[in-house]
Amino acid sequence: MNLLARADGPHSGRSARQAPARLPGHHGKHEREPRGRLGAGSLTGLDTMLRFMLRRDRLWLPLWVLGLSALTAYFANAIAVVMDSESLQAMTVFAKNPVMALITGPGYGMDQVTIPRFIVGMYGVFLMLGAALMSILTVSRHTRAEEQSGRAELVRANVTGRHTQLIAALILSVFMNAMVSGFMAVAFQLSEADPEPLSSTLLFTIGIGVLGCVFAAVTAVTVQLSAFSRAASGMAGAVLAISFVVRGVGDMSAVAGGGSGGSGGSEGSGSSVGSGVGDLDWLSWLSPLGWAQQTAPFTLDRWWPLLFPVGLFVLLAGLALTLQTRRDLGAGIMAERLGRAHASPLLTGPLGLAFRLQRSGLLWWSLGLFVMGGIFGSFTGAMDEGAAGMPEEILALMGGRSGIVDGYLGYMALYFAIIVAVYAIIAAGGLRAEEQSFHTEPVLAAAVSRPGWLGSWAAVTLLGSAWLMFLAGLGEGLGAASSMGDWGPLGPTVLGHLAQTASVWALLGFAYLLYGFVPRLMGLSWIVFAGSAVLALFGQMLQLDEAVLDLSIFSHVGQYPAQDLSAEAVLWFIAAGVVFVGLGMAGFRRRDLSTA
Amino acid sequence: MTTLPRTDAAKVAEGADTAHTSTSSGPRSTASAISMRQVGKSYGKVRALDGLDLEVARGEVHGFLGPNGAGKSTTIRILLGILRHDAGRIRLLGEDPWARAVALHRRLAYVPGDVELWPGLTGGEAIDLFARLRGGVDTAKRDELLERFDLDPRKKGRTYSKGNRQKVALISALASDIELLLLDEPTAGLDPLMEAVFQECIREAKAAGRTVLLSSHILAQVEALADRVSIIRAGRIVESGTLSELRHLSRTTITVQIDRDIPALTTMPGVHDLVREGPQLHFSAETAQLPSIIRALGENDIESLTATPPTLEQILLRHYGSRPETEAWS
Repeated sequence: MNLLARADGPHSGRSARQAPARLPGHHGKHEREPRGRLGAGSLTGLDTMLRFMLRRDRLWLPLWVLGLSALTAYFANAIAVVMDSESLQAMTVFAKNPVMALITGPGYGMDQVTIPRFIVGMYGVFLMLGAALMSILTVSRHTRAEEQSGRAELVRANVTGRHTQLIAALILSVFMNAMVSGFMAVAFQLSEADPEPLSSTLLFTIGIGVLGCVFAAVTAVTVQLSAFSRAASGMAGAVLAISFVVRGVGDMSAVAGGGSGGSGGSEGSGSSVGSGVGDLDWLSWLSPLGWAQQTAPFTLDRWWPLLFPVGLFVLLAGLALTLQTRRDLGAGIMAERLGRAHASPLLTGPLGLAFRLQRSGLLWWSLGLFVMGGIFGSFTGAMDEGAAGMPEEILALMGGRSGIVDGYLGYMALYFAIIVAVYAIIAAGGLRAEEQSFHTEPVLAAAVSRPGWLGSWAAVTLLGSAWLMFLAGLGEGLGAASSMGDWGPLGPTVLGHLAQTASVWALLGFAYLLYGFVPRLMGLSWIVFAGSAVLALFGQMLQLDEAVLDLSIFSHVGQYPAQDLSAEAVLWFIAAGVVFVGLGMAGFRRRDLSTA
Repeated sequence: MTTLPRTDAAKVAEGADTAHTSTSSGPRSTASAISMRQVGKSYGKVRALDGLDLEVARGEVHGFLGPNGAGKSTTIRILLGILRHDAGRIRLLGEDPWARAVALHRRLAYVPGDVELWPGLTGGEAIDLFARLRGGVDTAKRDELLERFDLDPRKKGRTYSKGNRQKVALISALASDIELLLLDEPTAGLDPLMEAVFQECIREAKAAGRTVLLSSHILAQVEALADRVSIIRAGRIVESGTLSELRHLSRTTITVQIDRDIPALTTMPGVHDLVREGPQLHFSAETAQLPSIIRALGENDIESLTATPPTLEQILLRHYGSRPETEAWS
């Protein structure tokens, strides 16, 4: 069943054409299908293609599946071991916090919390994001990336149908998500968390898998739109980010406002009712992430919300196939426009080039962070009012009424620092991508020094991350100020966000250090980032030792205005970032460029 | 391996400054544009360059020939300071290409065989950018070249075909006021019309006093353009000289129309592969022995005689192998 050896394609065309309707599933035959229809011939070679993809993914697939399952096992066992029922109860205050709802979800069952409920509520969303990313990257890599490189043309020149690659990629990602659901369920069921019953576990993990499938279908559409795989993955990633924010706002509103969703039918918790944001909880139902979370495993155990993602999957897959028949191989639905015939005066030196290449990315990040900051900031007013109605002891625990607002704004500075760090590492990785796609060679073949090129790229990312932190802080501060009717928080919020730039810089410097000496190991900066982010977000909840918490790069600057800023940490981190970049430059001078 | 007097002369002196004292005439009386001595480069256990010697005089068009994987691109990238050599000594325009890369790159332009452009930048922007990074663009020259190469500069890099991407790099290089052009199979994607334009442009560059190192697979191009040629094999230069010098080392193919056999030929030095085909005798003659062979032929009543000087292809095949249909040169 070799792709090239299949000889009965065009030659048997005549006999196949005589009875096309009777051969719907027979891939060996190949007939001319009517244009624009999903005929049998458009799937010719599906089994071969699928096996080929599995062969190509023999490392990629198990890494994702086992990685996500291992993460589940880790969360489940760690929480089960660390938490006794008493500390778990204490945690629910934290978990019912609107800020946590913004990140983690609607917090079903937190009133009578159990370990499985806690894990589902607090960590489920991260597993969902993982499954979604896996699907986006898998589909894009097997469809648009293949077309962009020209390999798809070779495949299509053989006896393969028009839709074979796309359908095979979709089947592959559905298969991967099914594996994820299965392995996760096993990992969860066997963990110390002792989830009961099995059907709830399955609801949880199948919800994650179905969500992954939705994003496979989303990507199947975006790869039709753009002719470039990076842009296509980027669009799918943007859909994921929007889903995340939309359901975050909905969940936050549900928890803060004590809306119908948040408390899952049980009686309301400490938060006050009627704080103005409570009427946004329907937003959670507009997001695929929201659907998966609304199944509320171990609490409500609803299966029907999964009908939405399944329906959306079918719809999007159909849309992708329709779009694919309407375009040429290698082309996108979105047409290319003509550009400038001459370079602008800005595009002159290496700095101009580095900025130009990162400009559009920075623009989107700027927009996203400013809007996110504004949305999150505008919850401050509601939170302030909500705090007024809180029981004394809980209010005291959270540092009083102003303490809650400051705590929120300070925590958001950390939250945005983590997001901007993602931008920073991706942007630094762009320098390596430039080298690997042989764009760096002609630059260095002109009169540009290696330190000059690395330095220019680094300068754009360093200043870019400061700019993004500023924008996030500005949005946050404006949102907070306008919702509370008080301009007081604006200045401190911007300052608190800007100060967090220092930790991003240190991380960036580390990435460039790796680039200069061993670009293959640039992935290490993701590991440092992930470790730091997990410690900063969950370290306290896991009641880890202070010394362990200090390992996080994000835990030193201080969550201003809630905590004091550590000028020492800020200066050290900035110095570390700059020195690392300098060392990276020195290393880059010494090594060979990767060449064709 | 054959070494020509020129290469020997180059080996005599250690420095480029003293090289001119060992020879008397020609463009080599000035310091070389490129001088590589015993240059080595390894990738792990693979030796990409193995004691390579290359001399390119200022103002000449130097053809650089060899099949894929012989080390042509590695040589050029070492000259660019993009790769670092492990052994030997290199002077590019009198300077060290690794340590002085930036200063040198203001004086040269490079065109690779596989041009990768940024997907979001237009061709025009890329041309301007490269020229500016080198120190400036001659806008009039640029526009003239755009015209001659028939390129629309407003299209995005990702929409260009291979040939058009190559034109972008060529135009940018040719529109720069520089001393040296390093061209690594610069016309691999161009059609024959554009090939003619390219050859014109190289002649103009030579007339303007520029030095050109032209690595190429297209032998006709090298025969048409190159003053001198170096042939690389497995990381070493195996032959270097003018085309006529190289021809001298090769055999001339001779076909004689005659009924009788010529016994003298069978014993004559410099005659090879003598065969009879009907009324014709075929053999190849060493160019050095040609006068005596022709004299010997003159003593016989030959009806006609065809002598074909060796083509560049035959010269190459002497080093690379066997029959003309060797795939490396097809």
